[in-house]
Amino acid sequence: MIEAQSLSRKYGDFTAVDGVSFAVDEGEIVGILGPNGAGKTTTIRMITGFLPPTSGRVMVGGKDLFEDPIPARRQIGYLPENVALYTEMRVGEYLAYRAALEGMSRADARKAIADAVERCLLSEVAHQIIGTLSKGYRQRVGLATAILHQPDVLVLDEPTVGLDPKQIVAIRELIRELGESRTLLLSTHILPEVELLCNRVLIIDRGRIIDQGTPDRLRERWRGNPVLRVTIKGAPAEAPEALAGLAGVLTCEPEGEEGGFRVECQTDVDLREAVFRLAVARGWVLLELAERKASLEDIFVRLTTRDLAVEPAMEGGAA
Amino acid sequence: MKALIATYLRELRAYFFSPLAYAIGTFVLIVNGILFGIIVSFLADPRSAGGPPFEYFFNMTWIVLLFITPLLTMRLISEERRSGSIEVLMTAPVTEAQVVVGKYLAVFTFFFSLWLPTLLFAAIVDTYGDLDWGSVLSGYLGVLGVGALALAIGTLASAFTRSQIVAGVIGFALLFVFFFVFGWMESLSNSELLKRLFGYLNVGGPIQDYARGIVGTRSLLYYVSTTVFFLFLASRVLEAKKWR
Repeated sequence: MIEAQSLSRKYGDFTAVDGVSFAVDEGEIVGILGPNGAGKTTTIRMITGFLPPTSGRVMVGGKDLFEDPIPARRQIGYLPENVALYTEMRVGEYLAYRAALEGMSRADARKAIADAVERCLLSEVAHQIIGTLSKGYRQRVGLATAILHQPDVLVLDEPTVGLDPKQIVAIRELIRELGESRTLLLSTHILPEVELLCNRVLIIDRGRIIDQGTPDRLRERWRGNPVLRVTIKGAPAEAPEALAGLAGVLTCEPEGEEGGFRVECQTDVDLREAVFRLAVARGWVLLELAERKASLEDIFVRLTTRDLAVEPAMEGGAA
Repeated sequence: MKALIATYLRELRAYFFSPLAYAIGTFVLIVNGILFGIIVSFLADPRSAGGPPFEYFFNMTWIVLLFITPLLTMRLISEERRSGSIEVLMTAPVTEAQVVVGKYLAVFTFFFSLWLPTLLFAAIVDTYGDLDWGSVLSGYLGVLGVGALALAIGTLASAFTRSQIVAGVIGFALLFVFFFVFGWMESLSNSELLKRLFGYLNVGGPIQDYARGIVGTRSLLYYVSTTVFFLFLASRVLEAKKWR
């Protein structure tokens, strides 16, 4: 449905997007994940035809977005990162204007507007002036605009950014509903969102796709090494060295309270038993010994920490 | 066509909902009212040379026009760019030309409506004296012709930048060239050829003819063709500026 062929975009000397290629098949929900400034919005803008690529091309439903823009754009519904609406208009009027812009007939427009208003839960604000709406409602008006002309493809750029938690839940629910019958491409820097919504994820950093796959597979890859949390009563002086000396330990750093250590181990090694035996042999009292699961947040931090972000694409994820 | 009409109606609405437009409208009413009052009291004095009041009126209107057109057009495209609404506008199935022309026609309509109250002046003159409706109409034609060109220049200026102020300044500077610089070049040129060339280009020149009831085909053609040219440029700029 969408095909991006080695898209590059330069702003002066700065390369924002560097040779990105991917395809989104019909009915798929694909997420673009990456830290802020990774090139997500630039990529999205090229996919929607707002920004011409410096090189490469975009095909939407078999049509070249820049050679044959009007029919190609007709197939796309777009929610930009900053939803800018005409604040002096009422919601209904704005949707009617957008329908006319899409070239719909009056009857079609009426039906489409009613449908979009209902889907996006806008009926109670349909007569309100857009300038008086909250951010969450404006986001929904933006979504209603995007689905108004029943496009085959929906492109959403950071659809939940700047919303409160309740609104985020509502918008996600709506996106999931919309994704049931459409091809959907959405960008985000929030991992749980990707996990919740997408069949497939592209991870972008510094303008390149550094990894892609299903959320499960990615989590597997980006999980990093197993980490043990060890706390020893009295914090014996020889403990760090002894722990670091165990076979399979990569690093051992003090962490948290007195006597607490963060022990990073090699992949697929469970050192809990070895740590226990070490403690017994040395006569330490173990207060805590636990394997820490890599949380989604860890992965997020790993991703957004720039100097770590590139290497872990290798198998095993040795960050 | 539908997209063009949609753009036109939405933009026209925006003018009638914007405080700036009302401030400009008030300004025009006041200035025109004062001007007309002065002309009437001047002509009412037996020592005055006399003459048709609307000829005096139209000879002065271009000053108002010069000030208000950049103010009217400065937000036209720059505001879309500043707010970011240009993103959803230019990803809709519309062409740059449709957007530019729709917006231009809206500002022209608003500009046109600003002159409607001055028809009252004509009605007053007609009631209490003789009015040559023919020369009044030709005077209005001159105002609208010059206005059309000035608004097209302003539209182009607005396509350049995301700042309304910058757009206003660029528009005013361009207008200044068309209204004054060409006139100066005409009168301060020693070459006959250049004199004629700048005579053609001088926008303000033919206004006196229009005020007298003389409709020049050449000047009308000049207004229309330059308007089209500037709108064409504006749509090209909008297209080229996508990289921003």
